Amino acid sequence: MIKVFLSIVTKELLDFLRSWGLVVLVLYSFTLDVYIAGGGMQIEPRNVSVGYVDYTGGGISQKILSHLHEPEFLTPKMFLSQRELSKAIFNKEIMVGIIFDQEFEKNYRNKKEATIDVLLDATAASQSFTTLSYLQNIVLNFSKLNIPIDIDIHKLFNPNSDEHSFMALSELLSVITMLSILLPAIVFVREKEEGTWDIMLLMPINPKITILAKSFSQVIIIVAGVMITVGLVLFNGFNLPMNGSFLAFLLLTFFYAFTSAGIGLFIASVSKSMMQTAQLSMLIMMPLIFLSGAWTPVYAMHPILEKLSLLSPLRYYIEGCESIFFRGTDFVDLWHYFAGVLILGSILYWYGFRKIGKLF
Amino acid sequence: MANLNVNSVTVIYKGNRIGIKDASFKAEEGEIVGFIGADGTGKSSLMHAISGIIKFKGEISFGKYVYHSPKEAEKVKKYIGFMPQGLGLILYDRLTVEEHLDFFANVRNIKMDKNFKTYKQKLLHMAGLSRFTEREAEHLSGGMRQKLSLICTLIHRPRLLLLDEPTTGVDPLSRLELWEILDNIRKEEGTIIIVSTAYMQEASKMDRLLLFDDNRIMASGTSKQLTDSVRNYVYKKTPCKDTDCLELHNVTYSLKPLNSEHKDPTLEDIFFINALKNRKKLTEISVSKRERRLEIPPIVMEAKGLTKKFGDFVADDKIDMELKRNEILGLFGANGAGKTTFIKMLLGLYPIDEGELTLLSQPIRSGRDRRKLKSKIGYVSQHFALYKNMSVRENLIYFASIHQIPASEALRRIERYGKELGFSDYLDAMPKDLPLGINQRFSIAAAIIHEPVVLFLDEPTSGIDVIARHQFWQLLKLLKEQWGISILITTHYMSEAEYCDRVVLLKEGKKIADDTVENFYKKHPEASNFEEIFLEYYREAN
Repeated sequence: MIKVFLSIVTKELLDFLRSWGLVVLVLYSFTLDVYIAGGGMQIEPRNVSVGYVDYTGGGISQKILSHLHEPEFLTPKMFLSQRELSKAIFNKEIMVGIIFDQEFEKNYRNKKEATIDVLLDATAASQSFTTLSYLQNIVLNFSKLNIPIDIDIHKLFNPNSDEHSFMALSELLSVITMLSILLPAIVFVREKEEGTWDIMLLMPINPKITILAKSFSQVIIIVAGVMITVGLVLFNGFNLPMNGSFLAFLLLTFFYAFTSAGIGLFIASVSKSMMQTAQLSMLIMMPLIFLSGAWTPVYAMHPILEKLSLLSPLRYYIEGCESIFFRGTDFVDLWHYFAGVLILGSILYWYGFRKIGKLF
Repeated sequence: MANLNVNSVTVIYKGNRIGIKDASFKAEEGEIVGFIGADGTGKSSLMHAISGIIKFKGEISFGKYVYHSPKEAEKVKKYIGFMPQGLGLILYDRLTVEEHLDFFANVRNIKMDKNFKTYKQKLLHMAGLSRFTEREAEHLSGGMRQKLSLICTLIHRPRLLLLDEPTTGVDPLSRLELWEILDNIRKEEGTIIIVSTAYMQEASKMDRLLLFDDNRIMASGTSKQLTDSVRNYVYKKTPCKDTDCLELHNVTYSLKPLNSEHKDPTLEDIFFINALKNRKKLTEISVSKRERRLEIPPIVMEAKGLTKKFGDFVADDKIDMELKRNEILGLFGANGAGKTTFIKMLLGLYPIDEGELTLLSQPIRSGRDRRKLKSKIGYVSQHFALYKNMSVRENLIYFASIHQIPASEALRRIERYGKELGFSDYLDAMPKDLPLGINQRFSIAAAIIHEPVVLFLDEPTSGIDVIARHQFWQLLKLLKEQWGISILITTHYMSEAEYCDRVVLLKEGKKIADDTVENFYKKHPEASNFEEIFLEYYREAN
C-alpha cells in the first residue's frame, strides 16, 4: 500500500513539474507576488500633490509650505484663486489644497485665532487623511504650545514600525490559502478534463489511498513553496524577524494546507472543468480571507462578522504565524492556534474527502 | 461556369507542423469530390484552406475569383457552404428546426420571399424533417441533427459545399438519406460538393476520389480507376515470403506477379500497396503467452435487462448480453445508440438503474464486489486518455505500480510489450507526439499490463488509418488466441463486424440484433457485407 501511495505521489509531482504554466504560477505567487505586496504597499503619504492659494503675500504661509517636501509631497503648486484650485482638485491634478486667507498672517502676528482652510480629495481617503495629520503636526510645532505632557514610546515586537514584512507575511498566508485550495482541486479536475478520470476509478486501489496521496502530493508542493518564500523573500528581502520556532511554523503550515485541501476536494467534486474550479475557488476564498482579519482587524469587524470569523481557519493560521514570527510565542502556548486549525481542518478535510469519495 | 481549381496548396501550422502538402485538384459543376483518409492526414486542413478560413500557400480559384489568402477569399464566402466536423456542432439546442433555418437565412441576409419559402419546404422535405419543424434541436436524434445541419448549410444555396466528415458516427439509414440529399442538390443546383469521409464504402457515391496519406494526396481518380490501378497486385491469400509481398488475413499483395488467383481490389488495398511500394515496413505484431495462468469461467459477463436513464432520456433500455470466454464481441451502433453508456455500466462508472449484472461469475451489487474484480479487467477509453505529461514508459510504469507489479518484472514486461506491439522506438516519447496508430497500441499495452481476463474497448478504431486498423485487429485476435481473453469492443465502423466472433447491434438504446458473424451471413445470403446486413435491421426497427 505504501508503494502504491508513493507512486501516486511521485506521478503527481512529476505531472506538476511538467506543466510549466502551473509551475510559473506557483513560483510567481510564492516569490514576486509576495515581494510586490510587501514592498509596494504604501500607507504613509508618497508623492502627494499639494496646491495652495496664498492671499497673505507670503511669509508665515511660505514657511509652513516649506515643511511639505519630498519624498512625502511634491513641491506645492501655487494657484491664483480658490476657484482654480478647486478645479484642479476636481480634475485629480491636486490631492490636497491649502488656502491661506488674507487675515491669516495678521491674526497670527496678533496672536489671535488664525485659520488655514484645507481642501481634501477624500476619494484617496487614507493618503489624504494621513496628509492632514502631517499638516496638523506641522501647525502644532509652529504654535509652540506649552503642554506639560510628553509621550515616551516603546515599540514592541516591531521596533522599526516596519509594515513591509508584516504585509509580506499576510500576503504569503493568502497565497498559501489560494494555492492549497486550487492545487488539490486541479489535480482531480485535470483528470476529469483529460478523460483519465475513468481510468483512475478503475485502478484496483482503495479510493481513500488515491485521494490521500493526491492531496498529500500537493501539500508537499505548498510546503516547498513556503520554504522558498520564507527563506528568499521574507528573511532576505524584508528582514522578517524569527522570534519563535521555525518547526512550529512548518507544522502549522502543513496542517493548514490540509485544511484548505479539504476545500479544494469539495470544489473538485462539484466542478467539471478548470474554469469552474477557478471560479468556485475565488467565490469560496474571498470570504475566507476577508473573515480571517488579513485585510481588516477582527476586532474592528461587525459583531456578527466577528463571530463568523471564528469559522475561518485562516484566522487561526494568521494569528498563529504572527505570534511565531513577531512575538516569539513558545510552542506550548501556540496550542489554541493549532487547535483551531486542526479542528476546522479535520472537519473541512473530512467533508471534502467524503464528497469526492462519493464519485469513486 | 464556376469550376474549382486548387493549385499546389500547402498548409503549415505553428511549430512547422504540416497540415497538407502540395495538394492540387480540379472539380467541375455538379461534381462530388471525396476526400478519403485517416485522421491527421490533411483532409480538414485542405477543406479549411478552400473555404478561406486559414492561411495557405498556393492558389485556389473558384469561377472568376482567384484567392491566395483568407482576406482575398472574403468575396467568395457567400458562395461557400461549410459544415465542420462533429455531430450537429453548428446547431443551437434550444432552437426549433424552423427557427434554425430562419436564423441561418437571416445571418446570410436572405430575403424571406416566396422563393425562399418553397426552397425551405423542399429542403425540409428532402431531410424528412417536415413533420418536426416545431421540435427543438436537442430532442432530435443524431441522424436528424446531422440532416438539419446539412440543410442549414444549404439554406443560402451555396455553389461550393464543403462537408467535413458529415457521416461519421451517423446510423446507416440516415447516412443513405444524407447522400440522397447531396445527390439531389448537385443535380438540381449544380453545386460542387466536397465531402470527406472515414467510410471507404461511401466511395461509390462520389464522382472523383482523392486518397490522403502522410499529409499528401496519394492518389486520385474515380473509384474504378483507383481500384483498377492496383488490380494486378491483389491476390487471394497465398503464402509468400518475399520482401515485395504482404500477407494479410484473407488477401496477399505482391508487386511481382504471383502464380495465384487475383482478388477483386478494394480502396483499402490501395493503402497497403502504396505502403509496399514505398518500402514502408509494417510492424510485425506478436503476443506471447501470459505470465500467470488463470482460471476463467465459461461466461465472463452476463447482463440481464440493464437499463440506464438520464432524466427522461433512456440511454440503454433493458439490454441482455452475454460475453463468453475467448470471444470477441462487437457492440455496434451509431453515436448516441448507448454503446459507451453500456460499457460504463459494466465497469461501474455509471450506476445501473435496473437489471442484473454478473461479472466473472460474481453478481455485482455493490462497489465492494467490483473492487475485487478490478485487477482482472482492462479498459481502453474513448480517445485513448492517458497522462499527457508523462512519457510512454512512465505511463506504463505508473500503471504497473498501481497494479502492484514488482518493478523489475514491470520493466521487463514494458520492454516486451514495446517489442511485440511495435512501439519500442516510442517508449520515451510523450503521448501527444505519437502517431494515432501507435497511441492506440500503447493504450492497449497500458490496459493489459496486469494481464486481465477481460478487455473493454470503447471506440478504439475511430479515425485510425487502414493499416494501423488492420494491425489493431490482428493484435486483438492474437490476444484472444494466446491469452484466452474475452474482448468487448464498441465501434461505429459497421465493416469491422467481420473481425468479431459475435455482433450486437444497438439503436437508440435498444438491442436490435445479436448473433454470431456466420449466422448473420446465413440469415442474409443476399448481402455482400455487414453494412447491408445492418441496414436491414435498421429498416425493420423503424
